[in-house]
Amino acid sequence: MSYVAVENLVKKYGDITAVDHLSFTVSKGEIFGLLGPNGAGKSTTLNIITTLTDFDKGKVTVDGLDIREHKAEIKRLIGMVPQDIAIYDHLNALENVKFFASLYGYGKSDLTRNAMEALEFVGLSDKIKVKPKQMSGGMRRRLNIACGIAHKPKLIVLDEPTVGVDAQSREHILNSIRLLRDRGATVIYTSHYMQEVEQICDSIAIIDKGQLIACGTETELVSMVTDVQTVFIKTKIPINFEKETFEKKIKLMPGVKGISEEDSVIKLDISVEQNNIGHIIQEFINFGLPIISIKSELPSLDTLFLTLTGRELR
Amino acid sequence: MIQIIIKETKEFLRDKSNIFFFFIFPVMLVFLLGNLLANLDKAEEVIGEVRIHYGIEGISDIDFVTVKEFIKGLEDRKNFFFNETDDIASSIDLATDGGIDAVVLFKNDPMEIQIYEGTNRIKNRTVNSIMNGFTQLNKAVDIIIKNNKQALIDQPNYESDYIMHKDLGIKRTMLDYYAITMMTMMCFMSIMIGAICFMGERQEKTIIRLRIAPISRVKLFFGKILGLLPQTLLQILILMVFSSLLFGAHYALYLFDNIHLFFMFTVISFTMISLGAVYGLYIDVNPMAGILPVLWLMMFFSGTYSKEIVIEGLSKYLPIYQVQEAAFDLTIFGRHQKANTVIIVCLIISLAALVFGAMGFLRKEEK
Repeated sequence: MSYVAVENLVKKYGDITAVDHLSFTVSKGEIFGLLGPNGAGKSTTLNIITTLTDFDKGKVTVDGLDIREHKAEIKRLIGMVPQDIAIYDHLNALENVKFFASLYGYGKSDLTRNAMEALEFVGLSDKIKVKPKQMSGGMRRRLNIACGIAHKPKLIVLDEPTVGVDAQSREHILNSIRLLRDRGATVIYTSHYMQEVEQICDSIAIIDKGQLIACGTETELVSMVTDVQTVFIKTKIPINFEKETFEKKIKLMPGVKGISEEDSVIKLDISVEQNNIGHIIQEFINFGLPIISIKSELPSLDTLFLTLTGRELR
Repeated sequence: MIQIIIKETKEFLRDKSNIFFFFIFPVMLVFLLGNLLANLDKAEEVIGEVRIHYGIEGISDIDFVTVKEFIKGLEDRKNFFFNETDDIASSIDLATDGGIDAVVLFKNDPMEIQIYEGTNRIKNRTVNSIMNGFTQLNKAVDIIIKNNKQALIDQPNYESDYIMHKDLGIKRTMLDYYAITMMTMMCFMSIMIGAICFMGERQEKTIIRLRIAPISRVKLFFGKILGLLPQTLLQILILMVFSSLLFGAHYALYLFDNIHLFFMFTVISFTMISLGAVYGLYIDVNPMAGILPVLWLMMFFSGTYSKEIVIEGLSKYLPIYQVQEAAFDLTIFGRHQKANTVIIVCLIISLAALVFGAMGFLRKEEK
């Protein structure tokens, strides 16, 4: 069931088309990664979904509500964690979270409770009186998240929430995002760190020049650009090993695209669709090659992203 | 909206630079300018003794009696000394050398008055003012005699009936002058707070969160503007209280007049905040470059820093000058008319600015 639906969305700034007939859906309770190079139209799309920017054509619905007709209701459903840390330096952590939650109409007691919960969620419950200026980069990032989730939104939009943070804070943030999803929130997530996207996103959309290039799970996206996976089999080559015969036999097997050997590691390129790994391993045994380890690799999201959006600098 | 007002006030009061620039600095300026420039800008001049030689040539009998009565009246004030002379030329030489302060010649029928000025600027002004007053009075009496001679007979004590002397009650100093002009300066500087209030939200990126929140943009706009008002009120109050209690600056004599003054400055501040907000929304030039130079020039030519710097034909058209005039009228003479006019004009401008600003804020999109 789709929670957010973007249909044929068009947004122009003068002669520039920032979003060009973009369509995708985000399922309820998933973490949806929105990827694209700089200037691809990600921010404009997020601004439209979060009601910040109007659009020229198309339709956007959140929780079944049309964004143009039910702006006020949709605003209540959304929590935004902007890329830039959007907090007040002269207010302490609790005051910051309480102020932003107060804009959603909470009473005094609910406000404090929700703010405390949000701060606890991001691991800042012991820093409630600390002002952002006295916090580390990672703590400020986590406070930025707390300000966006204190009103318990059903749709959380996170725009590069881990920029410039240390490994510990990043891990904490990513775990928190998973936890938000597990608690029932739908998350739209953008990042330039492909590893993060691979780690936490249930489905991914790649956009460029305002258009959708690819959309699906990570495996689905990879299969769009290649049907070859690389398998590395580490073995111990015996003295009387008939290398040429072995390689010839393997090459003749269906789905095998190539074979090479280096330092007792045999590298095989095999078709994703005609995965014949069981028969290949049998041949290893027939030729007296013990299997020490097997590692399979699909092209990374990084490679996929560069393949789809090009390698030239922008 | 209350949350926004509270947030604005907290933010303002916790910024140490604000405390210095908006509270301590103006009070210091009143003290520094009021004391250091007291010798340059004197609020009161001591005229001292004025020695005048006068001559009478061919005037009518009635004019003769009038001139003599006039001179006698002035001599009664104890600082004007008249000597009649037949040798006008020698008296003029004496005035040129500073031996006497002026020579006045009453001649012809109808009477003409010639004044030969001496070397002291203040005494020259005094003699001119007095003779001007005499001429006006003489003309008035002439008109009455021609039209209704009986009126003069029926009202023998017209001078005491028609001329009222008002004691200012306070000995004014330059501190009083700068207390008013610095207050005016701070009120007009509120335009900067208004201009940067939305710019600040944009710089801190918090504007995004505010705009995503389910609160109407008009409420948000008014919340921000109203949120700036308490700090401005505090600023005016602190300047009034501290300049009076610490340095002995005087405002109005009566409490009601002081409340009126406070209200006038509050309304001006609110107007300036509103205008600043409109600037911040519509104009993309840093207010430090776009507003501040204009404001400084206006203040400079309005006598804010020195009452001597006033340009004929320009200064009186500047809003800061008009506000200062209204404030002086209120504090020195207890006259409310100009202050009321300032308040009404400001309220009209505020209303227009708020409507214009709210419309702009409603339409503005984040890119």
